[in-house]
Amino acid sequence: MSVVPLHQINSFHKDPKFGRLLLVSLVVHVLIWAAFTGGWFGSGTRPKPPVYYVDLIHKPVLNPQAGRPDPRPKKKQQAAPVKKSVATPVAPKAATKPEVKPLAKPTKPAKPKPVPKPVPKPGQRQEKKVQSAIDEIRQRQAREAERDALKDKLAKLRESVGAAATVPADVPVGMPDGTGDEAGVSALAFVQAFIQQNWALSPYLLDRSRIANIEAKAVLAYSSAGTLVRYRIDTPSGDPQFDDSLKKAIIKSQQLPQPLPKDLELVVIFNLKEMAAIRR
Amino acid sequence: MLLRCLAVIFLCLALPCTALAATEIEISSPGEQTIPLGLTKLLSEQGTRADRIADEFDEVLNADLDLSGLFRFVDPQSFLDDAGRVGLFSNQVNFPQWRLLGAETLIKGTYHLDGDNLVVEGRLFDVVNRRLLTGRRYVGQPKDIRRMAHAFADLVLKALTGEEGPFSSRIAYISNQTGDKELWLMDVDGKRPLRLTNHRSIVLNPDFSPRGKEILFTSYRANNPDLYRKEIYTGKEAKLSYQPGLNVAGRMSPDEREVALTLSKDGNPEIYLISTSGRIRKRITDSWGIDSDPSWSPDGGNIAFVSNRQGNPHVFIADIFTGKTTRLTTRGKYNATPAWSPKGDRIAFTRQESGRFDIYTIKSDGTDERRLTFGPGNSEHPRWSPDGRFIVYSSDKDGNRAVYVMRADGTGSRRLTSLESDCRHPAWSPRW
Repeated sequence: MSVVPLHQINSFHKDPKFGRLLLVSLVVHVLIWAAFTGGWFGSGTRPKPPVYYVDLIHKPVLNPQAGRPDPRPKKKQQAAPVKKSVATPVAPKAATKPEVKPLAKPTKPAKPKPVPKPVPKPGQRQEKKVQSAIDEIRQRQAREAERDALKDKLAKLRESVGAAATVPADVPVGMPDGTGDEAGVSALAFVQAFIQQNWALSPYLLDRSRIANIEAKAVLAYSSAGTLVRYRIDTPSGDPQFDDSLKKAIIKSQQLPQPLPKDLELVVIFNLKEMAAIRR
Repeated sequence: MLLRCLAVIFLCLALPCTALAATEIEISSPGEQTIPLGLTKLLSEQGTRADRIADEFDEVLNADLDLSGLFRFVDPQSFLDDAGRVGLFSNQVNFPQWRLLGAETLIKGTYHLDGDNLVVEGRLFDVVNRRLLTGRRYVGQPKDIRRMAHAFADLVLKALTGEEGPFSSRIAYISNQTGDKELWLMDVDGKRPLRLTNHRSIVLNPDFSPRGKEILFTSYRANNPDLYRKEIYTGKEAKLSYQPGLNVAGRMSPDEREVALTLSKDGNPEIYLISTSGRIRKRITDSWGIDSDPSWSPDGGNIAFVSNRQGNPHVFIADIFTGKTTRLTTRGKYNATPAWSPKGDRIAFTRQESGRFDIYTIKSDGTDERRLTFGPGNSEHPRWSPDGRFIVYSSDKDGNRAVYVMRADGTGSRRLTSLESDCRHPAWSPRW
């Protein structure tokens, strides 16, 4: 049995190949780290997802709030907070921004004002006037640049903080008519969803050609306690299976699980437009 | 004074109207597209436990109703004590209990043995309205339990849709189970297979007469593809057409007075009409191409068939009386085996695409083409159930060729025959 002497083991570390291997390993590790932290893919610039406010209060109300801030700008209310936010915390930061620096530089030469010159010659006076005019223009430019930078900053702030303002109108939200001021679910949408949930009808019960056009109209009156006071099928569809199914749905919906904000009389139109669109 | 009174009355009338102004909402799709059904097992009236009868009835009924696509079964594990109660009258059923489980319909049944006879009673209840929808008593032998279950499934469909189901009918098909391709008959669920021919040759293309008493088929028994007719109950068999060349794809007219078939007695396969005694009455097609696979429209006025007269095989429709022919399919390179639905609105056929056959349906005016099968393998020979709700077909998607059934929209496909033998050319019988 042969034993490797210690000096030979140590000589491995002195081998130039070992050093190269170590370097390659280090580089690979750094590359992997860079890839995963997203430095190469610019993940840091990814836009923030819009924030939605989900209303978990399952209470039917007359004027529900939307599930997100109102995308329509409220002029009076919005103007005040925006000014405030710009005036106090943002302005000093903007002054130190690098965007402003290159334009602000030309004001520096104005500092060492060569005012106490001993003999002001007439040509020098004119030169001085011109110089002061140039300085004034430069200062004005700097102020304008600063204002532009502030405007940019403000726009960026609006983008990041007021994400809801940039949410497209067709993004789905909690309640379709949520423009009110009450926390809860729209009473109408609540009743609609409850009846729909209780409506069971197999498409195999109906003639396929009738699915797109079949429709019935019912009038339902609910008390504020959520109890069905009366109902009538105003315009039956003429299909016994369809009419029977919606009668069952109404009977199953005779007691809502929540009281309503007030008495409701609803005209409910039952049809299969959505089903027809899916099965087409 | 009078004006003031009138104003008060007007306000009294107008105010409640404005307070209760009806708002309109629209519900454009049901929340559930199946009917929740509580399906209980048969209970013995005598208190005896013959679980085999109850289990078999339950299995058949469950499979039939599941195939219909109408129902969502309430989980039997959640059943409460009413499922174990024998009462079959409306006032004996605990409807609130079933409402609690979400059921809208309920099936309950009982059975008892009366000597050698088995008596089964089934009831279908409307849980929401607390009323009996339909019910029937069946008397027979214990071996008839499957037939009773199929009959009750048909009744359930009739009560809910107004049209009887097809579960009591049967399906004919060709199988090589005995080594030769013979004609077989089975239940709609693939059970109780029965061999009908013993030609020890090649039998193909079966079709039922509209009243279901006879089957037409082609056999090579006499070394030529001749058309035979066979009475199902008596087993009597006779040659119907034995012209030289092909005598294939015989289909009896809806009034059972004529048979449309493909003959190649003059060299080129053409569609002919023959009488039920085999005499040629009329030549329907006359073209240089091959014309085959006739299928009658339910009114007996038209025949759909396959022809390559315009190049690739396509489905055409011929008017029996005027002889006018119109092309139905325009897509695909190979369209075959048309089958006219019993309601007359659609025609099922097969089309080869990407080297594979799949089943399609199309309206009889050539619009609204729909593909029904997408799976692997070839799906061929579509034939409609007598109510037009289902399509039976053969496919090799699971390996060996077998008979399958699906709903007319292509959903709910299930295999009916085993994969041990080659089964093809299914034909659905009319209701008996």
